[in-house]
Amino acid sequence: MANHDTHVEHHEAHTEHSTRFYWIVGLVLAIVTAIEVAIFLVQDLFLHELFLAILIVLMLAKGVGVVLYFMHLKGDFKIFQFLFIVPFLLAVSLVLLMLTLFSYHVGIAG
Amino acid sequence: MSSSASHAHHGEANQKPLVGSMGVDSRKLGLWAFIGSETLFFATLIVTHLIFYARTKEMLNGAGILKELDPRLNYLGIELTTVLASLLLASSLTMVLALAASKARDWKKFRFWQMATILLGASFVGGQVYEFMHLYHVGLKLAPSYALHISDEVYNTIASLNLDPSIVTLGEDHGHKAAIVPSLFGVTFFVMTGFHGLHVTIGIIWLLAVYVKVNKYPDSPENPMDIELGGLYWHFVDLVWVAIFTIVYLM
Amino acid sequence: MAIAEQHVTSTHSDSAASEGFSWRSWLATVDHKKIGIIYIISAFAFFIIGGIEAMLIRVQLGMPNNTFLSADVYNQLFTMHATTMVFLVIMPMNVGIGNYVVPLMVGARDMAFPRLNALSIWLFLGGGLLLYFSFIAGGAPNGGWFSYAPLTQTRYSPTAGMDYWILGLGLTGVASIAGALNFIVTVLNMRAPGMTLNRMPLFVWMNLVVSFIIIFAFPTFTVASIQLLFDRQFGAAFFNPALGGDAVLWQHLFWFFGHPEVYILILPVMGMISEVLPTFSRKPIFGYAFVAYSGVAIGFLGFIVWAHHMFGVGLGPVANAFFAGASMVIAVPTGVKIFNWIATMWGGDVRLTTAMLYAIGFISMFIIGGISGITLASPPIDLQQTDSYYVVAHLHYVLFGGSILGLFSGAFYWFPKMTGRMLDEKLGKLQFWLMLVSFNLTFFPMHIVGTEGMPRRIYTYEAGMGWEVWNLIETVGTFLLAFSVLMFIYNVFKTLRSGALASNDPWDAPTLEWAIPSPPPSYNFLHTPVVTSRRPLWDAKYPHAVGDDHGPASKPSPVRYEYTDENTPGAKDIHMPSLTFSPMILAGGLTIASLGFIYINQAILGLPTRVAALVFIAIGAVMVFYAIRGWVVDSRKDSPYLGHHH
Repeated sequence: MANHDTHVEHHEAHTEHSTRFYWIVGLVLAIVTAIEVAIFLVQDLFLHELFLAILIVLMLAKGVGVVLYFMHLKGDFKIFQFLFIVPFLLAVSLVLLMLTLFSYHVGIAG
Repeated sequence: MSSSASHAHHGEANQKPLVGSMGVDSRKLGLWAFIGSETLFFATLIVTHLIFYARTKEMLNGAGILKELDPRLNYLGIELTTVLASLLLASSLTMVLALAASKARDWKKFRFWQMATILLGASFVGGQVYEFMHLYHVGLKLAPSYALHISDEVYNTIASLNLDPSIVTLGEDHGHKAAIVPSLFGVTFFVMTGFHGLHVTIGIIWLLAVYVKVNKYPDSPENPMDIELGGLYWHFVDLVWVAIFTIVYLM
Repeated sequence: MAIAEQHVTSTHSDSAASEGFSWRSWLATVDHKKIGIIYIISAFAFFIIGGIEAMLIRVQLGMPNNTFLSADVYNQLFTMHATTMVFLVIMPMNVGIGNYVVPLMVGARDMAFPRLNALSIWLFLGGGLLLYFSFIAGGAPNGGWFSYAPLTQTRYSPTAGMDYWILGLGLTGVASIAGALNFIVTVLNMRAPGMTLNRMPLFVWMNLVVSFIIIFAFPTFTVASIQLLFDRQFGAAFFNPALGGDAVLWQHLFWFFGHPEVYILILPVMGMISEVLPTFSRKPIFGYAFVAYSGVAIGFLGFIVWAHHMFGVGLGPVANAFFAGASMVIAVPTGVKIFNWIATMWGGDVRLTTAMLYAIGFISMFIIGGISGITLASPPIDLQQTDSYYVVAHLHYVLFGGSILGLFSGAFYWFPKMTGRMLDEKLGKLQFWLMLVSFNLTFFPMHIVGTEGMPRRIYTYEAGMGWEVWNLIETVGTFLLAFSVLMFIYNVFKTLRSGALASNDPWDAPTLEWAIPSPPPSYNFLHTPVVTSRRPLWDAKYPHAVGDDHGPASKPSPVRYEYTDENTPGAKDIHMPSLTFSPMILAGGLTIASLGFIYINQAILGLPTRVAALVFIAIGAVMVFYAIRGWVVDSRKDSPYLGHHH
């Protein structure tokens, strides 16, 4: 078991954020949620596709905030990023492939 | 994942046994891999729900009664769920503050924020139990059809359409006039959100265990990692709700 | 060993077995080697049971219009045969050999989470026994191993067999995910100094890939079986088209798991022969990186080909074209591996030991199965062959001709390491040839009857279809196959009693596990080895030999043979986790609770509905809580910070 202690300490010093920073991230997440709800309430003003697109972007923004800053994936070891991003992409592919297979556009709907 | 004996391997020279050949903590490595596995678990639950909801919509739309009987618009108000989503988001913030406090070795602050996280999580579960009971009383059940309570006006409209019983039948539920629609919306919704709620509950137990352990052994050098691991799981559970909130409630 | 000193009792009681057999040292073990052996023995026991089921099936089909088995029993037998071979034989056999060998290959003292490892084996056994309990509890599952909807709905499967299937496989599924997480962390984080990812033995590589496949593929299956359980127990209708559910959804969810599952069955075995072939060719593997990364590619592509099991559904041309194309692409990395194996032997100093014969048998039989696989990837051909014996032939050529032959290769290769004794080579070679011939006798004619239109899963057939002769040959082949397995069992018992003793390194092999005694002491390596190349032991033995990088090793390998046991000076200072029954109690509790869950809506033991079920669930819950408490105590005791030892 190779010893990488010095590396670890060096590395952790970089990812330490101040509590003030976490409050700001929390505030941004709250604001994005508020925007999501607001857009939901006035969704008739938009084209439905645009409404969905905006929601997906906002949802992803929230998710990225939680994963990068609360879960400290940003700046953490590459292996953790790999361990999260690969299954995430696999999950997204599963959802998209299944929705396509069960839509009324490709073949039969099952 | 709850317990690890990776430190059983500290050899002769290795004084920091938790750090291995990847330069990382073994338990954290295992937990991230487990979170990856859970991502696919919830993706499957969500996509099942979406498939059956789309099918119900297609059917109601074909009969021209989508607006009146759309299960999501008529059952899932966004007031309660916005509160619940905010509770869980806030608990993610308090969780990361608890971790920061532990790294600063401020145990008083840690106890405060950790307990805040636990209480916010418990409120979420409480809110979800309330939501489930409410939905049950207005006709959304763990069954392959739902009984949406409707006004006399809608009742008469549907009656006048003379629709096939495979699309909708008229009846009663809890003493209200109801349109009974064969649909898996309710089943898929309850199974999906129920399993999320189960995960939140497990998270609460985990955070409580960490709270107790840290209180008992405030000097243990394992504490920050114990807290971080509980926190990682907790943030992931919040992350799932970020997805469910937008995809299931808003879209 | 001395157990006088107080702290030694907690650290070394696990090795008490070296002085004689004790149940406690096995049932409470957290040693990866013992857990591996329990896995192997259990999987072999299930192999015999699954084999007996296969023989009963073949007796029934040996003659037309046979009445040896009823249709219902036949359905139960083919369902349990496949479920057993997939989930209770090949998977755990891979896990068992991996459990034993992988930590040794990477130079570790144990798996990353020894108690979780113990939990995996007991959960696997609990799940397997629960599944088999269905035979005496009113009927085994009878919907086929992929349990197609709506056959699995209560109306068509009224016995509790399907519930046993769901919960039994649920338990083994949890065991698999826990085991896979353990492998991932062990391989990534427990490697000896100098063992970079690109120096790992290929068996370790394939175990890493398979562990990722397991943790990404199993959740979908878990969700699908939970949904099926809700259909059967709580009146949902996920997969019941009559009530708005979707039978094809089950197929999608099952095969999104099911196709990666076949790579879970084959990739570790490919890893095994990637160790055996270089050793007995006295030549490093040809194209190490290609073999490793083609395994990664197979693992990745395996997730986007699932619907080739569903061409018969009629998914439409777009979906069919996509999945057919992706499936054929998999032939590329698979072909890369086969060419590399052959190139490894080419020009090598080949020693035809039994292990080597089985490895070559694997390659040749797997090629046949692979080629019939490519034909099945083409939708127009598949539509002719699907649900016929041609498919049965294909899957047995990859799973028996591939996985099982490869597992025998691994068994003959590592048996000396695990037991300290050499299996009889003469008997082994005889067994190999008998098995190879009888395997082809059994399964090759299935290509022919399949093409002639014989459907799979029929319990009998009319005379005069032209299938009689072939079926009779298949049945005779099965009995010869069974005899060859009996020869192996005889070989094992004979060897354990009086076989030749094995040295540290009986095969003159390149990897770390051969540097330590056979069998290794409980702590494996006295001195954590330092690795400077892909072939640490070869480079130590033959420092001037030319390797796969076309030159002698740049640095002399510091790896040396160790001749140690529990009494070697210094061995007592190695802290190993203590014996514990908690994982077994936890697994037992979950198994008992699952049994209760099966009868939540049915009366059993003459008690009113739910009473007995709730009692079982309560007993299970108490055991789980007791075990978790014990687990916490154990982990505190073994903690370097909270423990009581210095």
